[in-house]
Amino acid sequence: MTSQALVAAATLIAFALIVTGVAFGSAIGDGLVASKAVEAIARQPEARPNIFTFLFLGVGVLEAFPIIGLGLAFYMLFGIVGLPSGIFASLAGH
Amino acid sequence: MPFGRVELKEEIGGHSLWTLPVLGAVHADTILTTWLAMAVALVFLAYVGSSYRSPRAGRTQTVFEGVVDYIADLVYGSLGKGGEPFVPFFIALFIFIFLLNQFGILPFKALGLPFGGSPTADLNTTLALGLMMFVTIQVAAIRKGGIGAYKHIFSAPPGAPPALALLMTPINIIDEVARPVTLTLRLFFNIFVGELLLFVIASIINAKITIGAFNLSLAVTVLPLGIEFFNFFVGTVQAFVFTLLAIVYLALSISDDH
Repeated sequence: MTSQALVAAATLIAFALIVTGVAFGSAIGDGLVASKAVEAIARQPEARPNIFTFLFLGVGVLEAFPIIGLGLAFYMLFGIVGLPSGIFASLAGH
Repeated sequence: MPFGRVELKEEIGGHSLWTLPVLGAVHADTILTTWLAMAVALVFLAYVGSSYRSPRAGRTQTVFEGVVDYIADLVYGSLGKGGEPFVPFFIALFIFIFLLNQFGILPFKALGLPFGGSPTADLNTTLALGLMMFVTIQVAAIRKGGIGAYKHIFSAPPGAPPALALLMTPINIIDEVARPVTLTLRLFFNIFVGELLLFVIASIINAKITIGAFNLSLAVTVLPLGIEFFNFFVGTVQAFVFTLLAIVYLALSISDDH
């Protein structure tokens, strides 16, 4: 493997790690928010519209972080190895 | 060369510039798209408003009454009776941000027009919205309580020893300044990444990648449909989150009990 292919492979692994981390965290957070909302609706069905408001607020605030993480990961990927054609060219070693 | 590699027309983070006398270089496509969105909103909402007096409640009227009632309920629930002057402002804010977020779905730029793309995928638009909320909140707080509106920044929380104010003041100032920054960045990154994903798909298709017998470029052509649905959902939720957080911040700064 050439050193360029090594850099491309390491960057792809780093990209995958970033996306894994943010997806893992936000999935746990989304699950917590949704399960608590279901519990609250089961306990107080009349408060349903109010709970939905704060469910969407929580999910909206929470979803911002994985998306910011994904954006920064793409920034790193494009900055180091370039667009997808460049990535596959680097991995092929030419 | 009919089957050769074509140059990508779409680009991400690139804007056509206007050089104005006082302001310097401005992003022309962002400004044009914002004006277009405002024109669409004005004409459409004027039509909705003028058809309001007809005795038959149509589908459009029902939808808009739902939106207006929902946001008005949120404002009254958070601000109480004193929130009445802010109701039209927040309704306008929600509809404006919603339209700006969804404008990226229309392929104006691919048709060669000078405008297109979501204006909220440009940091300037979202920063302007965040600063507008910051100034609105400060002006509302000063009109409500004079200079004493800032008392809660320089005092300890109730029940704590007064010396804690020394510790709490920098934290409170950071908290106050971080609010418009987080509002700005949350909206910007959500819409920007939505466009970035489409750009990544386009460049994978353009690169004509095959791994063994598997044609990756052909396989990813189904993804934009799902991404556009995701973008619609994200745009709606983020417009709602921006409006709701603005209401909550306003309520925190002009409520009586702090």
